[in-house]
Amino acid sequence: MYGWIWRKLPGPFAVKLATAVVLALGIVALLMFVVFPWLEPRLWFNEVSVQ
Amino acid sequence: MAEREEPGGDRRRYPERPPGGGRPAPRPRPDAALSPRRAPGEAPTPRRRPPEGSPPRRPTAGPPPRRRPAPPPGSTEETVVFEPVGGGTATEERPPPRELGKGGAAIRTVGELLITAGLVVLLFMVYEVYVTDLFSAGKQSEASSELDGDWSKDRQLHPDLVDGKAFARIHIPVFGADFNFTIQEGTTEAALEVGPGHYKGTALPGEPGNFAIAGHRVGKGAPFNDLDNLASCDQIIIETQTDFYIYKVLPYKDEVEGWAAGKGADPKCKNVGTLRDPNAVDGGAYGETNGRRIVFPTKGETVNPVPYKDPEILPKAEQVSLLTLTTCHPKFSAKERLIIHAVLAQQVPKNQVGSYAELLPKISEAR
Repeated sequence: MYGWIWRKLPGPFAVKLATAVVLALGIVALLMFVVFPWLEPRLWFNEVSVQ
Repeated sequence: MAEREEPGGDRRRYPERPPGGGRPAPRPRPDAALSPRRAPGEAPTPRRRPPEGSPPRRPTAGPPPRRRPAPPPGSTEETVVFEPVGGGTATEERPPPRELGKGGAAIRTVGELLITAGLVVLLFMVYEVYVTDLFSAGKQSEASSELDGDWSKDRQLHPDLVDGKAFARIHIPVFGADFNFTIQEGTTEAALEVGPGHYKGTALPGEPGNFAIAGHRVGKGAPFNDLDNLASCDQIIIETQTDFYIYKVLPYKDEVEGWAAGKGADPKCKNVGTLRDPNAVDGGAYGETNGRRIVFPTKGETVNPVPYKDPEILPKAEQVSLLTLTTCHPKFSAKERLIIHAVLAQQVPKNQVGSYAELLPKISEAR
């Protein structure tokens, strides 16, 4: 999978590397700002109240 | 009998020789075992005949070298010829990496996905423990300045409770002079992201009954991270628009016995009693209300006006003004809840002491 992505990236090595870093950061940001905030209330281990 | 012997029966007679004509496994020969003890310094008797001219080898030969499976006929793979061990000129040519077949590629992809999943889980932990702190810090400071803005406007005796909106502030001096969080109305996830949340329907600060607050212990600003470090008589100060309410943590279970003569005699424990009814066997209405308790999440009675008791057990006029803090327990888990019960010890109107910074040195002296 990663090898496939790397081969698909265009350009010489430096451009490939930069693109890969930007891609990775983008995915991390997507997780941090969209996926995790959505997921977190659905998980159970951070409940603090009694009912 | 001899005719019935199977062809493999031969093996029983010559166990040393594996089938297929391979190299015989090195085993101590009976004659070697029976050979007379060799003189010290003499070269050990080799079990296997060494190649000509090679130095004496270790007495125990290792397992025979693994044989590579013969390449299938027609294969272009280069055959690596192993020279005799110790002979010296074994070539270490490696075959070029083979192209993975479909199955190999699938296995590699699965492995990569699993590694990725592990990284995502790690990242989630980082998010949960650190990144939510950053998000909550922004929301908390917003709520705090909004609360200050509200308070600077007209004064009113009872705060208007709007869901998710801050109406009071909590200070815990033992956690540092700058420890403060706004208290939001309600214990929804959104409210708790800003800071501690007030259980709807429970008493208000200073009122008889139970002013109950929930707060996160890990992430989201973790306002109640250190609740387990509170000791009895530690102050928890609730600031409203008009007053400071100084609550003190009730005696812990093991301190109840002999409280008045023991820790209760400490000046810092002024106005802190055990709330026990000496005439009742079980301690009366507040018999179960200790400074710290660990309960199951389903124990909603924790935030009752009289904790763990029926709401009707005492008329409101006889209820003690309590403060209850709840958070998760153990850390990183939602298995149980850590509960802190405190009792109102003092009320300081804000027209006497203007700000928390002014109040703090006074109550610190009182400790």
